[in-house]
Amino acid sequence: MDAEQIDGWAGALFDIARSEGALGAVEEELFRFARSLEGNDELRNVLVDPAVPGERKSGVLSDLLGNASPITAGIVSLVVTTGHTRDLSAIVDRLLARAASTRSAVVAQVRSAVPLDEGQRARLASALGQAVGKEVEVRVIIDPTVLGGLIAQIGDTVIDGSVRTRLDQLKELI
Amino acid sequence: MHNLVLLAAEGPNNPILPATNEIIWGTLAFLVLVVLMSKLAYPSVKSAMDARTEHIRTAIDDADRTRSEAQTVLVDYQRQVADAKGEAARIIEEARQTADNLRRDLTARAEAEAAELRQRNAEQIGAERQRVLAELQGQVATLAIELAEKVVGGSLDQQRSLQLIEDYINTVGTNGAAAPAGAGTETAGAPGSTSSRAAGADPTGGAQA
Repeated sequence: MDAEQIDGWAGALFDIARSEGALGAVEEELFRFARSLEGNDELRNVLVDPAVPGERKSGVLSDLLGNASPITAGIVSLVVTTGHTRDLSAIVDRLLARAASTRSAVVAQVRSAVPLDEGQRARLASALGQAVGKEVEVRVIIDPTVLGGLIAQIGDTVIDGSVRTRLDQLKELI
Repeated sequence: MHNLVLLAAEGPNNPILPATNEIIWGTLAFLVLVVLMSKLAYPSVKSAMDARTEHIRTAIDDADRTRSEAQTVLVDYQRQVADAKGEAARIIEEARQTADNLRRDLTARAEAEAAELRQRNAEQIGAERQRVLAELQGQVATLAIELAEKVVGGSLDQQRSLQLIEDYINTVGTNGAAAPAGAGTETAGAPGSTSSRAAGADPTGGAQA
């Protein structure tokens, strides 16, 4: 699927979520599901494999999204059953970016080894907003491989302050 | 005969002088014998002598011719022997030169091959040494980083982690898009590495609400 198609899918799903009036919850649930899909090879293989029956895929999605809103479950089910599981993360990211743009904001995906509290998230959003000159919505991904510090990605810009990167740089120097 | 006539004329007192008639008859008989011999024996004797002479002359000529031919053959033989000796010397000289050239070529080739072998061995040893050094360096780096990760992971308690996050927030808020202290910053133009790292660095799949 090319960028134009991904943008089309994201626009359509965004319109559905907004028309249902559940955009905020849908954004968060889709973001968490997309990150889970990226980090779980077994889940991704099951949802991508065309040999796996649709009923089993639906069962897996029901187990994972049982507590999610029906809009989120419907969107994920639509993408998976139409064979676009590989592009789900890109579609979700584009949907989040579109939703943020309607609020005159951009999305920052932040990787951290430990959870951030609301205060830290707010101050981080403010700091990143000052850095890029726009309002920033922070989406936090818990990633133990970061070890310490944060990695923030806003569009094509990455602000890396992680211990992992410092160790990698040290390894390159060695 | 003239002497006999003179002796006869000297008289009967000569003791060695035969009687006159005996001289006459003897002379006649001698003359008859000479005539008969000249008519009958002399031609055959002369013919035999001529034949013998011719035979001897022929033999002498044959001997001369044979000797001349032998001399010619000898000269040819000697010339051939000289030629053969010269040819043999030339062949021996050529063989010696060929052997010398072959020896020099083989020696030069062996020396070149030995030099090339030494060079190749030196290069292989150098390359192997570099490879081992690089591999060893990589292993040392990996071990050092793994050790550092364990040390850092063990020392990063909750308080220290939160402090790192606070430092990051403060640095970003102060310096803008510049990298936090000691950290790398990737900007537009290198999104590929960023995306791949981000996609594969979430083993837990966790996302904070």
